[in-house]
Amino acid sequence: MDVFIQLLINGILLGSMYAIISVGLTMIFGIVRVVNFAHGEFLMVGMYAAYLLAAKFGLHPYASVVPIVLLLFAMGALVQRFIIQPLLSADEHIQIFATVGLSTALVNLALLVFGADLYSVPPSTVQRSVMVGGYSLVIGQIVMFVCALALVSGLHLFMQSTPLGRAIRATAQNRTAALLMGVRVDRIYVISFGIGAACVGLASALVMPLYPVSPTIGTYFVLTAFVVVVLGGMRSMYGAFFGAMIIGLVDSLSGYYIAPDLKEVVYFAIFIAILIFKPTGLFGLGRGTE
Amino acid sequence: MRKVAQAAFAAAFMLGAAQMAGPAAAQQTLKFGALYPFSGGLALLGDESFRGLEIAAEERNAAGGINGKQITLVKGDAVDPNQAVGEARRLTSVENVSVIFGTYSSSLSLAATQVAELAGIPYFELGAVSDPITERGFKYVFRSNATAKDFSVQMVDAIPNAIAPALGKKPEELKVGIIYEDSLYGQTMAGYQKARAAEKKLNVAEVLPYSAKSVDLTPVVLRLKSAGVDVILQTSYQNDTVLFFRQMKDQGFKPKAIIGAGGGYSLRDTMLAVGPENMEGALDVDFTQYKTNPKVAPGMEDFLKKYKAKYNSEPRSGHSLANYMGARVFFDAIAAAKDLKADTIRAEVMKVDIPVGATPTGWGAKFSEQGQNTRAVPFLMQWQGGELVTVFPPDAAVAKMKTGVGTN
Repeated sequence: MDVFIQLLINGILLGSMYAIISVGLTMIFGIVRVVNFAHGEFLMVGMYAAYLLAAKFGLHPYASVVPIVLLLFAMGALVQRFIIQPLLSADEHIQIFATVGLSTALVNLALLVFGADLYSVPPSTVQRSVMVGGYSLVIGQIVMFVCALALVSGLHLFMQSTPLGRAIRATAQNRTAALLMGVRVDRIYVISFGIGAACVGLASALVMPLYPVSPTIGTYFVLTAFVVVVLGGMRSMYGAFFGAMIIGLVDSLSGYYIAPDLKEVVYFAIFIAILIFKPTGLFGLGRGTE
Repeated sequence: MRKVAQAAFAAAFMLGAAQMAGPAAAQQTLKFGALYPFSGGLALLGDESFRGLEIAAEERNAAGGINGKQITLVKGDAVDPNQAVGEARRLTSVENVSVIFGTYSSSLSLAATQVAELAGIPYFELGAVSDPITERGFKYVFRSNATAKDFSVQMVDAIPNAIAPALGKKPEELKVGIIYEDSLYGQTMAGYQKARAAEKKLNVAEVLPYSAKSVDLTPVVLRLKSAGVDVILQTSYQNDTVLFFRQMKDQGFKPKAIIGAGGGYSLRDTMLAVGPENMEGALDVDFTQYKTNPKVAPGMEDFLKKYKAKYNSEPRSGHSLANYMGARVFFDAIAAAKDLKADTIRAEVMKVDIPVGATPTGWGAKFSEQGQNTRAVPFLMQWQGGELVTVFPPDAAVAKMKTGVGTN
């Protein structure tokens, strides 16, 4: 029983990490309608930025959240403006190839600049675990859980109740109609992609103290993030959050009770089942919205 | 007519010049291929391996080369098996190298050796550990380093030979957990470990494969903890080693000993990412590292000096030393051969007979019919105070083995 509860706690904390990474992908996927295969590499860029700020200026990754979020926002906006936008009217496959190409380019750029070595920030209290009622919780993971909740509700509020948020939702629902209503669709896309990338910036600052960064670190997370996004129904922030929790729990429990090497099998089986029985995702808005 | 004659004369002259220059240039240099992953994910240790070969070649050249000819290394960059094949073809057919040295990674070596064998070019493997490289009946593939099986056997044998005596227990009283990343590398190592553990009648309580790209190994830690495992054998890469040690600490799991092999365990980066205090006591069966008794590894200190002078840093792992040792053994064999024909070189390699403890890695050299060095024995090392020191066998040791993992 003790182990089971520890696994549940672990699953939820793991889920919050997936959530915080997936929210940005949901944003890009759901609004710009681009499958961003370079999402994991955005995370990698953010983590290297956190590493550099820590190594050169002694900044704790948490303290470097603001510059990293700004950097990633700019990066996302530039990618949308100069890589995706010229391809918006092209075939979807071409956009996918563009992001795959971007991902490969970024991985190799990182290899060129940093080499294949692992880099980690100096140890801090964030890596420590605290015992609560006999169960171990890593402080950095608790922070991630709180941030994931705040990010999801913050984004939800932003989308529901600000003019910009409404414009973004309008663009996502019907691009042409939004254009007719005077929404500057191209600019909305640039902003949305930027916000999506900025979310990954937040994620990278939070992940950095717990995982060392290497050029391929993005591939560790991104496949799971895609599953989460589809599970959550592509566009729903809360959907992505609960999707991430489900994957976190499945990951943790099946790793213990079935076998550590089979946990991917379990959650991809769930993924396929959902694609068959509820293709719009668990929290999707029904057929035709995607 | 006159023009034709001129042209014919010019052509004849150039031909003659080429013929004269040909052998003269060939007398100056010997072209050897150096096939390693210089870019891509394997680049770090690929480059580290190459450095050993490079230092051996420069040392040889400074001492007059091979029979008066200078060695020129022609680099081939093998990122993946496809490219390894392509680069091996380029080296053998375009660059016309006499022999090839490589490769660090087993999958690259398996691919590249096929090309070299077909071309009849000797291939000297100095670092890849997969057993089948020298089990396919190839005539011109030779390997100076220990294989995965040698590593696995040493890992398991460390339990009855070193760990159980240090704990004052019988080997069969200890519960053993075998964990490994589930690619070919981990599967192969774990296969040999399971077989050897059964031979030694050890009590294997858990066998757990996991993906090296896992972002959470807590379930593995908890399985081992629930089973009350005393000794863990781990076959891993870097990221998963770091994660496992961190999460072992998070869950307050303290095995009596943990033994790893190669890659993930021997790198300084791993130790720094885990933290020296958490890595303290972790055992590693590996290529010879630098904190080894120099008496059993003559030439190691000299290599270290040359390395620091050339690259202005400490070696990043023992791979460079292993490549250095192998390159020297094979250079000697090539020097002893009267020509560069593959069969002549093979005959000389077969004559090599160096006792254990007479090379910079402490290994000996004696090659089987399959081309495998039968005297390459990996040592048991341990992280102590942020340094990887050799602790077993006793004559190679520079420190006493400790038990337990982590200092707090």
